[in-house]
Amino acid sequence: MNKLLDASPPSAAIQPLAQLRESLGKALQGKSSQIEMVIACLLSHGHLLLDDLPGTGKTTLAKALARSIGGKLARVQCTPDLLPSDITGFRLFNQSTREFEFHPGPVFADVMLADELNRTTPRTQSALLEAMAERQVTIDAVPHPLAETFFVIATQNPIDSHGAYPLPEAQLDRFTMRLQIGYPDRQAQLDILESATQSDNATPDIEPVMSREVLSKLQGQVRTIFVHQRVREYLVDLVEASRCDPQVELGVSPRGMLLWQRIAQAWALLQGRDFVTPSDVTRVANPVLSVRLLTSDGDTQAAIERVMSSVPAPEYRA
Amino acid sequence: MQTRRLERRAIEIIVLACLALIAVYAIRAATEPTTVIALELGVIAPVALVSLFRPRLGAWILGALPLIAGCVNRLTGVPAAAEMMAVSTAGTASLALAIGATSNRVASMSLVLSGFVVLFATSINDDPRGIAVAIVWISVCMWHLIANHWERLSICMAESIEPSRGVRPVSLIVALSVCLISGAIARNRWTESRRLASGFMPTSGGTKWSDPSARDGVGTGDAAIAAREHAESFGAVDSDVFLESTESTLFDMISESLGEPKLKNKFERRQGFDSDKFIPSHQQLTQTEKGGQSFSTSRAAIKKNLSLRNSSSTSVIQWIGPTGIRLAMHRFDRFDGVTWTSSEQSTSDPPQQRQIGDETWFFLPSLLERWTDETAPQLGTVKVLRLESTRIPSPMATTGVHIKDIDRVDFFAWDQHGNLFMPGRERVPSLTTIDLASVRISEDELVRGLSSVAPADSTQIDPELARYAKHVTDGIRHPYDQLQAILRHLRTDFVFDRDHSVDSENPVQAFLRTRRGGDHLFATTAAQFARQLGFESRLVTGFYVRPESWDLAAGHAEIESSDVHVWAEIKLNDDLWFEVEPTPGYAPPVYTPSLWLLAKRWAAEAWPAIVAMTIASIVLFLTRSVWADWILRLLWFFSALFGPRTRLQFAMWILATRARLAGKSRPVHDPQRDWLTQLAAPHLELSQLVRRVCDSADRLCWHRAGQAELATADVSDLLRQMNAQFFKRQANKVSA
Repeated sequence: MNKLLDASPPSAAIQPLAQLRESLGKALQGKSSQIEMVIACLLSHGHLLLDDLPGTGKTTLAKALARSIGGKLARVQCTPDLLPSDITGFRLFNQSTREFEFHPGPVFADVMLADELNRTTPRTQSALLEAMAERQVTIDAVPHPLAETFFVIATQNPIDSHGAYPLPEAQLDRFTMRLQIGYPDRQAQLDILESATQSDNATPDIEPVMSREVLSKLQGQVRTIFVHQRVREYLVDLVEASRCDPQVELGVSPRGMLLWQRIAQAWALLQGRDFVTPSDVTRVANPVLSVRLLTSDGDTQAAIERVMSSVPAPEYRA
Repeated sequence: MQTRRLERRAIEIIVLACLALIAVYAIRAATEPTTVIALELGVIAPVALVSLFRPRLGAWILGALPLIAGCVNRLTGVPAAAEMMAVSTAGTASLALAIGATSNRVASMSLVLSGFVVLFATSINDDPRGIAVAIVWISVCMWHLIANHWERLSICMAESIEPSRGVRPVSLIVALSVCLISGAIARNRWTESRRLASGFMPTSGGTKWSDPSARDGVGTGDAAIAAREHAESFGAVDSDVFLESTESTLFDMISESLGEPKLKNKFERRQGFDSDKFIPSHQQLTQTEKGGQSFSTSRAAIKKNLSLRNSSSTSVIQWIGPTGIRLAMHRFDRFDGVTWTSSEQSTSDPPQQRQIGDETWFFLPSLLERWTDETAPQLGTVKVLRLESTRIPSPMATTGVHIKDIDRVDFFAWDQHGNLFMPGRERVPSLTTIDLASVRISEDELVRGLSSVAPADSTQIDPELARYAKHVTDGIRHPYDQLQAILRHLRTDFVFDRDHSVDSENPVQAFLRTRRGGDHLFATTAAQFARQLGFESRLVTGFYVRPESWDLAAGHAEIESSDVHVWAEIKLNDDLWFEVEPTPGYAPPVYTPSLWLLAKRWAAEAWPAIVAMTIASIVLFLTRSVWADWILRLLWFFSALFGPRTRLQFAMWILATRARLAGKSRPVHDPQRDWLTQLAAPHLELSQLVRRVCDSADRLCWHRAGQAELATADVSDLLRQMNAQFFKRQANKVSA
């Protein structure tokens, strides 16, 4: 058995991932399952949409994440007057050098937090989303590649719908998953209060636990995680079921299906496995589907449950 | 795909051909020596098997086999009918075509041939079970044709259109229903179809039955019916033709079949009586003399070669109706130890006339109310050929009579014993056709009617007989069952032998001792026994309609003088007597029991088994989880014979089955790992075990092939811990 574990690739990933988990756990107490999901999203080379109330630790999470991977964090507070160039960067004519200088925007950071993305105009939104999809921005016909580990955490405030520009479905599909962090439970809140009184520094010390090179290696490793034929069939069945549900107006696209498989692979790697099980698929289904199912009655959660319960999971068999 | 289709076609056609062969050889087995049939089939079967592999050569031999067999049979002196040889050859030819078929056309030829053979064989088969082969053949053929149809369609159909799976079974059911319904409709015209069938295969004579379509042979049927001697079948005048006759009387017939009565003088008979029994006996004798009839049970040995045996046609009467029944002529109700006599007979009320359709029927008034019953009467027709009597041979409880155009009440009468006769005549005119209707008596009526009996008449009690009867009926309480026990005793433990002469003062005692005698002794003994039980009984003489006497071609039973028979009747109530058949070899009368009575009887006989089964079922049901778990454990033990994946699958099946038995099935949309983890969540150790097992299982199933082994010890441990009780607790927790 030991020999088998030694031979398997994920053993190398276990150590840095555990450290990452630990350091994020320090920043966001009592939210281990959400942290797992965030790490999975990071490993799958995706982007994260947080649907949450203010003050639940979105910024803390983004900061901690950026610091843990030793990267740069950029935070954009999206407002209606935000322009695309405020995000992507712009060229400015330098009077002294008499040349155009490129001023890179926040997208050139390693982790970018786009706060209240639905409050900015669709024009700005699409500029960001294009950058997310292409991983490069083109300014004045000059392409500028983004950081290899570029990771967007966008938030939406579900409360203030007034003066908001809800993200179109096509844009939503570019996010890998949607998460709710939610309020911490009672014990975690007590811990938060306690830690705030004990230490001078309210924000915990977070040291970089992995380099960006290690991260991009891990991201590369995720792609090689083995997916069994029957698990793939299960995925396809689920995707087809999502398209057949009468309440669902827009089912999972092939891109969404690919992302789902990638997330499941990332999840398997997080569990220290080099193969995907049906449990991995169902475990990540909720955050993956909630970003890409458009329902006519608005109850996405019920639609997800219907889709998941309509397909029998593959069983152990000879 | 193409070869598979051909395979299915070929197999089905071969099955159909085999069915055709079965149909043919079933008929032949009934008429030809078994060894010949066995030998022939014994050759056909291996040749058919060989020709499956070498169709070219084998099929030719197979097709010719019955012809060869027929020739060999004829050469060796075994009779072989040409028709049968031809039909058999058609059957084997169909099989040979089916086996050797290389194209659909040849296969269809085989199908047509086998269909013809089955149709032909079924139509000439006398055994109704032969229909079953035809029905099976039709089912398989429908199955085959529908499959062919869909295959042909699928070639030119769009890919997306698929025949639903229900098409074949539904068509089969429809075809079978049509078959059975039309069969049920045709059944009402059974006799006609019989005649038709017999026309297919004209006989060359030699059998008992004859047929108008026969080419030659010895027929009696129409000769008798056509009245060669007496052209008028019935004349309503007492002409000389009917008054004088040379035909034998019933008395002659009985004497011939049962022997002459041994006559003793009256003085000798009286000597045996006490003085107090003398006077009743004397009165009885006086009555008997008025009645003018007697039947002695003490009879001489039969004299052979009387005139009756020599006559050209021995038919006395002809009967259309159920066979295996008795047609009564005389009834005797008094017995003095040797001789049966009948008490003075007075005619009962005149019959009531009723118009049923175009026919005028006459009914016995006392039983008229029974006709309102839902049960249909039993109908029969008797044709008197040569019977010197005014009595009309009639079945038990005959209450209605009809002769073609007769509408006069005074032509018929019933005497008080229920004998039907035509008063004021010398005899019933020859060739009179009389329709008779008799009431059906159900067994329930008998059980009800005989449930309480008056204590036996003291004058009738014979201590020795009573003791004997008590011995036979020991432990049986219901009088009807006692009667049945006695009849069973007589029918099984005594030997019917008319030639056995009883030479004794007391024939009944002698019969009980030797256990051998004629039917008059059986009937007398049964009647006497019935009296010991407290029933009223009487002796009946008449004819027995042997089932073999039915002439298929003529459509009636020929009753000969040798069919004279003696039996007994028991009184059910004032109006109704029912007959019993104590003599072995004669079919007992049929009293149909109701389902309720049958169920009661079955319950009474099998109640310990029923109770035991019920208790066992309840116990099994209540303990189902326990024994089901035992079986599952045993199966797990034996699963060690299989590979790790099969074992894993089996272990999961065991867990799922336990959950199902506990009433909480595994949700199919949950992966098994999630399900188990959720179940084990409250227990730390179990959770760890589940994780280990699932890790192992995941590696086994979802990893690249051939990467791991199953942690069998952990799986066994898991099966031990997640036992039936575990799942029951889980289910209770959920419901709570």
